[in-house]
Amino acid sequence: MPDAIRSEAHEAHAEANAEGRAVDRAAIAESIGELLPALIAKLGATGLAELEVRQDALRIRLRRPVDGSASRDRRSTDRTDRADRGDRPGRAGSAASGTSHPIGLSAVGPGRDGREGGARDDGRAVATSPAVGIFQPRSSIRAGTRVRAGDRIGTVDMLGVPQDVVAPSDGVVGANLVEPGDAVEYGQGLVVIEFASATPGADPAGSPVAAAAAPAMTDR
Amino acid sequence: MFRKILIANRGEIALRILRACRVLGVESVVAYSEADRESLPVQLADEAICIGPADAKRSYLSASAVISAALVTGCDAIHPGYGFLSEDESFADVVAAHDLTFIGPSAAVLEKFGSKAGTRELFAAHGLPTIPGSHGMLRDELHALGEAERIGYPVLIKPSAGGGGKGMRMVRTARELESALRVCRSEAKAAFGDDSLYLEKWLDENRHVEIQVAVDRYGHGVHLGERDCSVQRRHQKIIEEAPTPALSDAARLELAELASRASVAAGYENVGTLEFLVDAAGAFYFIEINCRIQVEHPVTEMLTGIDMVALQIRIAAGEPLGFSQPDVQLRGHAIEFRVNAEDAAHDFRPGAGLVERYHAPGGPGVRMDSHLFSGYDVPPFYDSLLGKLIVWGPDRTTAIARSRVALDELVVEGVATNVAIHQAMLLNETFLEGRMTTNLLDRVGSAAFLAAAARG
Repeated sequence: MPDAIRSEAHEAHAEANAEGRAVDRAAIAESIGELLPALIAKLGATGLAELEVRQDALRIRLRRPVDGSASRDRRSTDRTDRADRGDRPGRAGSAASGTSHPIGLSAVGPGRDGREGGARDDGRAVATSPAVGIFQPRSSIRAGTRVRAGDRIGTVDMLGVPQDVVAPSDGVVGANLVEPGDAVEYGQGLVVIEFASATPGADPAGSPVAAAAAPAMTDR
Repeated sequence: MFRKILIANRGEIALRILRACRVLGVESVVAYSEADRESLPVQLADEAICIGPADAKRSYLSASAVISAALVTGCDAIHPGYGFLSEDESFADVVAAHDLTFIGPSAAVLEKFGSKAGTRELFAAHGLPTIPGSHGMLRDELHALGEAERIGYPVLIKPSAGGGGKGMRMVRTARELESALRVCRSEAKAAFGDDSLYLEKWLDENRHVEIQVAVDRYGHGVHLGERDCSVQRRHQKIIEEAPTPALSDAARLELAELASRASVAAGYENVGTLEFLVDAAGAFYFIEINCRIQVEHPVTEMLTGIDMVALQIRIAAGEPLGFSQPDVQLRGHAIEFRVNAEDAAHDFRPGAGLVERYHAPGGPGVRMDSHLFSGYDVPPFYDSLLGKLIVWGPDRTTAIARSRVALDELVVEGVATNVAIHQAMLLNETFLEGRMTTNLLDRVGSAAFLAAAARG
């Protein structure tokens, strides 16, 4: 994702939703680069909770955090860390020296979520990598898509064999923590799944979330 | 030389390889399972990558996970260490197919020496006396009984894959053989994913002596002396030393030169270990070759001053040896003690858990290769080796005296270890006189052995 999205992370939660396969990726990236800073400023200056613009096949929606609480802030920062990690292809896990190293690594594994103890409480879960390899999200899955626990949302290619990345819970697809084509390690956080209850404005086009909870994934 | 090496192992050997890479100025990446996230090699690594869950079959034993990790981190070589994928020739093949170098012999060489029965025949053709054994793998019970009859009891059942005593049983009768076959098959299957077994003649009162060789790609080979690994518990080496007290200087030299000549002639490449059984009369029989770096390689390093892991990496990178036999000087005496997470007081029950305090001994000639640190949580999923204490002295007597001091100084609190058995061994007359045989501990029984030492 362009830097613009990260830079506004502490102010607003942004979702860029591109529709229409024919639209050139680079063109979208450029538009986002130009539009986002202006839109963020706009949202910040108004009292609006949500702002959406459409241009050709491109749709950008900015949403203010529900309550602007610390947990939201922490989440955003966390996401920035993870996105940074994803920006270094061929490098999974940080090269930090000394004792901080394993802690840096922990940030991407399921163990960290367990230690935080609040990963599910703050309205999100993270789909983690089932293997060491190259991540590709499923083309039909994008930010805002509603998913159920166990849904396949992408793959990690390990020597040509795709391993399924599955949604750990029911919810709505949020941010990608790594880019398509990035090298990822086993257990690394890949895609945020926002719990449906915490995201009232989620994409109405997505499939409805079942009333009954789906069985939990057994991957953990 | 390689640009970047993936270290596909854990524990003390991962640390050892990491150090060798640094000495050679080669970048490295430590591949680890989730259970080893907080381990010392991962903490000290320049770069580390999680390749799978604690279950070794999905991490350290997964060829695709290891190779995928090497590719995504930009490595051009993989060091398998010992155990895990180190002697899996099909792994070496797949590694080569991905344009990576397997640090060890090439896939072609591994294939040549892959069958233990075939290797025995090959070395026999190059002048090594070999131990009688079954022709090929045991097909079924009937085949096994027939082969055992031909070889003559007692025989040793051995798995084709791996080592470390798993899947191995010595049997004295046909009835024992029948019942042991099933156990050995399931043990071998569980440990190595391969349940092929073969038979070898068992020599009572034998000594285990092995020759370390190094051969470069250009057919230039040397030996680096021998190691005596006769102190074993249930076919697992626990103490190794060099020179061997079992043979005279002339006999040691003869065996070493025979082994190095045969290795070159048979087309071996890289560092390797030729294992021999030596009987009470001093006659030796070749049993098998280990095509990898071995746990006990530091014994040879202490005597020769040669960094065995660096040498292995250099040979795999296609460098010439750079030295000849006369350059290899064997000095003094070295003894290695394997410190295992096994409760010597409770039938060597394997242990795991938090190491509350760890202190490594020091002093002249004392070396500790270990991944322990105070606060380290030993995971229960892997083998029990916690580290190796290697002690050098100008002669065996001095090495033993230094060993006693070092073992007393070693502190591993929180996890039960087998250190008591080492301390008892250093009080045992048979060991002190250098007359230990591979059945010493098992014959007496470890408990009785410890009790005898306690009585003084």
